[in-house]
Amino acid sequence: MSMNVQPDLEFIKDMKSAGGDTLKKCFQCATCSVVCPLSTDGNPFPRREMVFAQWGLKEKLVGDPNVMLCHQCGDCTTYCPRGAKPGDVLGAIRAYAYKHFGWPKGLANLASSGKNLPLLIGMPAVIILVVWIISGGLHFPSAEDFGRYGYGHFFGHWDFNLLAKNVFFIDLIILPTVALSLYAAYRGVSNMWRLMAENAGVGQPLYRPSASQFIKEFLWPSVVEIVQHTRFKKCTTNADRLKGHLPLLLSFLALFFVTAYSAFTQDVIGIFIPEMHGPMSMWNPVKILANVAAIALIVGVGILWGNRARKEAEGKATPTFYDWFLIWMIMGVGVTGLAAELFRLIGVVSVGYIIYYLHLVSVMMLFLYMPYTKFAHMVYRTFAMAFERYRESAYVKSPLAE
Amino acid sequence: MSDTAGTGAVLVVGGGISGLTAALEAAEVGNDVFLIEKNPYFGGRVAQLNQYFPKLCPPTCGLEINFRRVKDNRRVRPYTMTTVKSISGGPGNYEVQLVTAPRYVNSNCTACGDCARVCTDEIDNAFNFGMNKTTAIYLPHEMAFPRRYVLDKAACSPSCLEAIKGACKYNAIDLDMQPETFTVKVGSIVWATGWNPYDATRMDNLKFGQSPAIITNMMMERMAAPNGPTSGQILRPGDNKEPQSIAFVQCAGSRDENHLEYCSYICCMATFKQMTYVRERYPDAQIYVFYIDLRTPGKYEHFREKLMADQKSQFIKGKVADIISEADGGVTVVAENAVTGAKIQQKVDLCVLATGMQPALGDNGRALGVRMDGNGFVVSDPDKGQIAAGCAKSAADVYTSAQSSTAAALKAIQIGR
Repeated sequence: MSMNVQPDLEFIKDMKSAGGDTLKKCFQCATCSVVCPLSTDGNPFPRREMVFAQWGLKEKLVGDPNVMLCHQCGDCTTYCPRGAKPGDVLGAIRAYAYKHFGWPKGLANLASSGKNLPLLIGMPAVIILVVWIISGGLHFPSAEDFGRYGYGHFFGHWDFNLLAKNVFFIDLIILPTVALSLYAAYRGVSNMWRLMAENAGVGQPLYRPSASQFIKEFLWPSVVEIVQHTRFKKCTTNADRLKGHLPLLLSFLALFFVTAYSAFTQDVIGIFIPEMHGPMSMWNPVKILANVAAIALIVGVGILWGNRARKEAEGKATPTFYDWFLIWMIMGVGVTGLAAELFRLIGVVSVGYIIYYLHLVSVMMLFLYMPYTKFAHMVYRTFAMAFERYRESAYVKSPLAE
Repeated sequence: MSDTAGTGAVLVVGGGISGLTAALEAAEVGNDVFLIEKNPYFGGRVAQLNQYFPKLCPPTCGLEINFRRVKDNRRVRPYTMTTVKSISGGPGNYEVQLVTAPRYVNSNCTACGDCARVCTDEIDNAFNFGMNKTTAIYLPHEMAFPRRYVLDKAACSPSCLEAIKGACKYNAIDLDMQPETFTVKVGSIVWATGWNPYDATRMDNLKFGQSPAIITNMMMERMAAPNGPTSGQILRPGDNKEPQSIAFVQCAGSRDENHLEYCSYICCMATFKQMTYVRERYPDAQIYVFYIDLRTPGKYEHFREKLMADQKSQFIKGKVADIISEADGGVTVVAENAVTGAKIQQKVDLCVLATGMQPALGDNGRALGVRMDGNGFVVSDPDKGQIAAGCAKSAADVYTSAQSSTAAALKAIQIGR
């Protein structure tokens, strides 16, 4: 009898490129599942995920909520008797899953390799440059105009009150980007959910939660847990990361609010009261919040940057493009954003405009690559946590059946 | 007498089962042998066992005959409390400086025990891993060879020393004894320095030392031994409870890059052997064995099969990675069963860590220029007349140690011929 064994080289390569090639050292002693502060009695991990990965059971892995529930505290890696680094392996599986669920495939593949970095930066850079040229705004304004409107005339100005020219061109870039990103995330999460339900043997539930029930019972509690960093706080070995992730997440929430507020006041109320256009006063509470958030963002990602660099220097983590790309992108957004504001305040038009251009490029990158890079954990982990609740709920486990 | 240059004399460092075997094999074919031992007695780790596996005979079986052979063979010159200070020269012509620490008891001693009866100061009994106390002047254990008391002078008050000296009818107490350095000329050196149990406190997640219910496998040997701290009873230290449930934690420090990266070879068999100790005393006790793999090579498979048929024993494939102290004096061991994928929290009365073997020579060997591997095992260098034997060479059972010691003797006697 002969058996045709075909090793899945692609999967191995993917694992390797995302820092998970140590997985073959695992000898299944299960130390990791015990020392993991997030693993539960009924559903321990990551020992099982390690053997799935060794066997190349990709479908099991991408539809396994544990892979997403792992926060890479690193206790497993510290105590692993074999140096198999389960924490890094699960990180690599997550990277693989984002790519696996990514749509369109080409973009997902592009965003998963450091070799494509020139293209990854080049595409948004060219798109924004072309739009800048088309808009006719590609020149430095007078110092007076800059002082009055800041970057409000980056894409030029027209006398059409209902929609400012700048808003039009920014929306032209950002709205399709966000739409693509949201659709890709929705698609990916739906596919993951389906696989998770299949693997967990959920089958056809007797009752399906309505959208509002789903949000109220599963999604919202997960979001609250994420914001409170409940699981992160259990990661005692990697406590330094909490100091970075918490301000970072809060700054994202604050900046989301600031952006929404600013869009509303300037682009909606601004239609009727043109004075609303232009930079906010530095003493506007919303502006203060924005500045605090910007600093929190840079400090937060800086802490994560330092933390990761130190762990790599100590040999406790493997340097990967997957991990660094997100750190670079967020740092890029934060530094260019704050620098653009500073140059506006000191009135240096030329440098300010160029930095603002880079800011737009980095923001577009962050949105565009969200569903495929490490940033995707924002949606995938949230829904995995919702699935964890759903799996244990009465929709799946009939209380009468037990 | 020590001028043995050019005669093909052998220095055997370590007087456990391996050193005794190597020394006797070399001496019985006509070579002069210096056999040195750091402890005040010969027999090493074997002397501390309750029984050998797989035949379950006591250590007197084997050690006694070897002691007899040493006594009868004038070519073996045994020295206790003696260590190597420096090595010079080369193969066939080594000059080795040895130091004998003061025993404070000379060869007049008849082991009558009068001194111990008047001794008021006590020390931890190292032979029993500190599980009980002994008088500061003591016979290391019942079958100690040489059969002579030893005094821990530093632990004694002047009045106690006075009483001890006064009690000895044979003028055997010599409080002015000094460390003695002497040189031997040998052709080759056999390293039979053996092993130490791996320090269990280094596995912080296994909480050794934080609950008396957590003991090591070597402590279990002493408890089960008739001459041990509990006269052969297996009781939980501290409250002397008769354990009704016992967990064995395999690979406690072995096969672990953070501790001993190699398999210590004997721990699986030691656990199976200790299961028989438990069964003998507690026919109804529940036994749980947590393991990664059960390694019982060769004929030991039969031993494993027999013990795995035990109805009241469970074998769980999964390493214990956390131990929690309980209020009632017991502990809960935590593991994941890798076969079922469920996490197990098993509460037990007593928990035995199957700690592994760490080569005992350590940094002392490196300072003396002995060739060692990354784990501290001695690597034989026959061309240089330095040969490893027993557990100094690799983690091994008694049977394999005896084989490697005979092999080492054969290598050693070929130097300088």
